[in-house]
Amino acid sequence: MSKLITMNVDGQELQVEEGKNLIDALSAVGIHIPHFCYHPALGFDGNCRMCLVEVEGARGPQIACNTPVKEGMKVSLSSESSMNLRRKVLEFELINHPLDCPICDQAGECKLQDYYMEAGLSKSRMEVEKVAKEKNLDFGCGVVHDQERCVLCARCVRFLRKYTKTAELGIVNRCDKAKVTTFPEKPINNRYALNVVDICPVGAMTSRDFRFKQRVWFMSSEKSVCHGCAKGCSIYVDHNQEKYKAERVYRFRPRENAQVNGHFMCDAGRLSYRKENENRLTTAKASERFEAVDIATSQAVALLSAAKGKAVFIVSPSWTTEQMAVAKSLATHYDGYLSGYADGYIVKGDGDDLLLKEDKAANRASLELLGISTDRQKLISNLKTAEVVVVLNNDLSLTASDKREFEALFAGKQVIFVGSHRIALADSAQTVIPCASYTEYAGVVVNVDSILQEVTCAIEKECFARRPEQVMAALSGNAIKAELGAVRQQLSASVPALAQVDWNAIPENGLNLKGGAQ
Amino acid sequence: MAVQEVKVLSAKYGIKDSRTLAVARAHGGYSQIEKAFSMEPAQIVEMVKASGLRGRGGAGFPTGMKWSFLPKGLDKPTYLCINSDESEPATFKDRQIIENDPHMLIEGIIITCWAINSHDAYIYIRGEFVRQAEMLNTAIDEAYAAGLLGEKACGKDFRVDITVHRGAGAYVCGEETALIESIEGKKGQPRSKPPFPAVVGLFQCPTIINNVQTIASVPYIIEHGAEGYRKFGTEKSAGTFLFGISGHVNKPGVYETELGVSMKGFIEDLAGGVWKNRKLKAVIPGGSSTPIMTPKEVETCMLDYESIVEHGSMLGSGGIVVLDETVCMVKSLKNLLYFYHHESCGQCTPCREGTGWIYKIVSNIEAGKGKMSDLDLLLELADNMEGKTVCVLSGAAAMPTRSYIQKFRHEFEEHIKLGKCPFAG
Repeated sequence: MSKLITMNVDGQELQVEEGKNLIDALSAVGIHIPHFCYHPALGFDGNCRMCLVEVEGARGPQIACNTPVKEGMKVSLSSESSMNLRRKVLEFELINHPLDCPICDQAGECKLQDYYMEAGLSKSRMEVEKVAKEKNLDFGCGVVHDQERCVLCARCVRFLRKYTKTAELGIVNRCDKAKVTTFPEKPINNRYALNVVDICPVGAMTSRDFRFKQRVWFMSSEKSVCHGCAKGCSIYVDHNQEKYKAERVYRFRPRENAQVNGHFMCDAGRLSYRKENENRLTTAKASERFEAVDIATSQAVALLSAAKGKAVFIVSPSWTTEQMAVAKSLATHYDGYLSGYADGYIVKGDGDDLLLKEDKAANRASLELLGISTDRQKLISNLKTAEVVVVLNNDLSLTASDKREFEALFAGKQVIFVGSHRIALADSAQTVIPCASYTEYAGVVVNVDSILQEVTCAIEKECFARRPEQVMAALSGNAIKAELGAVRQQLSASVPALAQVDWNAIPENGLNLKGGAQ
Repeated sequence: MAVQEVKVLSAKYGIKDSRTLAVARAHGGYSQIEKAFSMEPAQIVEMVKASGLRGRGGAGFPTGMKWSFLPKGLDKPTYLCINSDESEPATFKDRQIIENDPHMLIEGIIITCWAINSHDAYIYIRGEFVRQAEMLNTAIDEAYAAGLLGEKACGKDFRVDITVHRGAGAYVCGEETALIESIEGKKGQPRSKPPFPAVVGLFQCPTIINNVQTIASVPYIIEHGAEGYRKFGTEKSAGTFLFGISGHVNKPGVYETELGVSMKGFIEDLAGGVWKNRKLKAVIPGGSSTPIMTPKEVETCMLDYESIVEHGSMLGSGGIVVLDETVCMVKSLKNLLYFYHHESCGQCTPCREGTGWIYKIVSNIEAGKGKMSDLDLLLELADNMEGKTVCVLSGAAAMPTRSYIQKFRHEFEEHIKLGKCPFAG
């Protein structure tokens, strides 16, 4: 943190960080200056004029986004004249706005709406005809644009120029005929496109995927971590239970985290929320017949007890660190071999230098921390002599060669599949026990840069809500500890890298296991 | 005493083939190069400062002071941009220089490049000036052929290259940072300041942007010195100015006079007075954005920076428009606002939305569909637009709006009361 300086806002002395602009410096101490075009990741542009403030001694109103804080600076935000500055700009923003909030997805999280409410404007003075523009334009990559709602802040344009460097959008025309548009026949085409929906301060950019699905005020939001790849972007899980329907996740949104993902996330990760709702494994099987979960569990316990010393456990590289520890205990309990083999999760050439990683496993780093082998040959040699194989949500069918090879190795063995989704093994295994997925349990994951973050439980799926650690405890005949607190205590004691983790106070932005807390 | 023309910049006007290098040289063109190169660059900057030369593009900023804002010791090239966008309605003086004496501009550019240590000058010329761009390029080609430009400009160990860059027809590109954006190949939109172009300008390098007339005045200053230039004009408005006068006068055109002459005298003595023996109704003194003046104000106003400001308007670009008694002021304002609405770059909210809104309100009044409350709304919107944006285009639309309504409110009220235009017959 750089030097602190003292300034005065509305007569109140404040300590703010030197070298920042007014918006950022004051935001850090909890004061929001209304703005549309400024975005910390995209820099200032100065076009919206919403952040005009009165600075003592300055010639006329200044834009806060391009005004660096100075020692002794005096700024007025809530004076009548300062409020009026914003009211006037807001009036201009609104005169040609369609005011279609009732059918706008952004309603409830719209800056235009918020500022309107704050400024207390109620009556329009606009009595001449509004400017009509186009609506429902398909910009590609699931981005839908409404030109009438647009405030032309150019955040989307700047994002595609500065961040993805693909520059698919531009503003054409002048005056109130100006509009954001794509080049002819050249839709948005990059893997981060849907971020323009987030950074759009109004409802001009909407997501084809989310449009008209939910009113945002009905949804609850949980802080969590994307499981789309090893980057582990910080996210919000937005979910809701509609009347007479099962609770479901409606969207993932990036959560600002300077040490992981900045302000953004990739489209694949964002849309991976769908997997939490679709193709879920809900039914248990025992002896290749559908059975109650408890019956399937006791059958599995019987099989494992009979095969002591001859069981192989293959754990998912995306499970939480705590779940991996429980898996380790389970394997030890049955004197079996535990593997974290997950080469199939690596998709060569699928990474980039922004956020996307080739490794699609969310917690591979913890396999290493816990000393769980990921070696393919060792797994194969252990499988050859095994009688029972317990697959703990690890998808071995991700590559065709793995699928063929492991199908052959599993032949003639008792296969127990504990899983959240209906992958191939859910059909072929003799014993199947469903378990929760990562929006339905809590724990920690460690990303590719050794940053440990918390996954929180957003949804309780009562009907099949056994968490992986609960399933594993049951598989041990309740002989091993699976309660989160106990597992964490054990982790702190046994894993040096985790010795210093204060499990009750993991920072929202995660903990860098290599460099300490942020 | 009648207002007289002074031939400083317009000395070669009317001479046959004055555009050509040979004729220009025969009449003193490029005669100041030797003297300029014998001076230290800093001396030239000081001389221009002392001459009191102010920017002739509209804002009237002291030229020498602008040059002295360039940062010293930067490891970057310095660029010179000549603003020949000349898009302000009623302004047509720079065009005359290019058409009649382009070599005076080129001479000014060479001297200025030496003074500010720049090797690359861009002349940004208005897109509609097709013929003028051709003339300029012809003159530049001649200058290259004669060794006046290029690697060893005028035989000195100093490179000067000039590139003519044509605009694509946007008024806003006359704003210096929009001009820079346009030269860089981007959409012409003014940049937020700071940083100012003298520090971060064209291609992120220090840049000086001057009007054609400003730079064309430089050779004369070199020749006659600061005092020689100060012989013309007033204390704070030194030198001569090419005024373009149009509208309802008998002899419209461009006339060069020293600054500080009587506006009324200028209109009557040089432009032949209001045509058709009609009465004067109003004068736009310096391009369409400057506040309109009543005959009473014109009576006592002098054509210099201070006097016009004292009379509530601005010298601007020196484009004088004379309106006679038959003009409908509402229609006249509507015409101006149509232009400013069309030319607003669309970047800043108050301008993008405001210019359209006030244009529509004034159109309604003109069509007899206005309300009395519209007039106060217009005045308030003008305030809300001015000074709230990146550039002054918003103010350029607000200033006429405010002055037309304040000074000719009765005409607006008459439209509203009658429900039609009283001038429409």
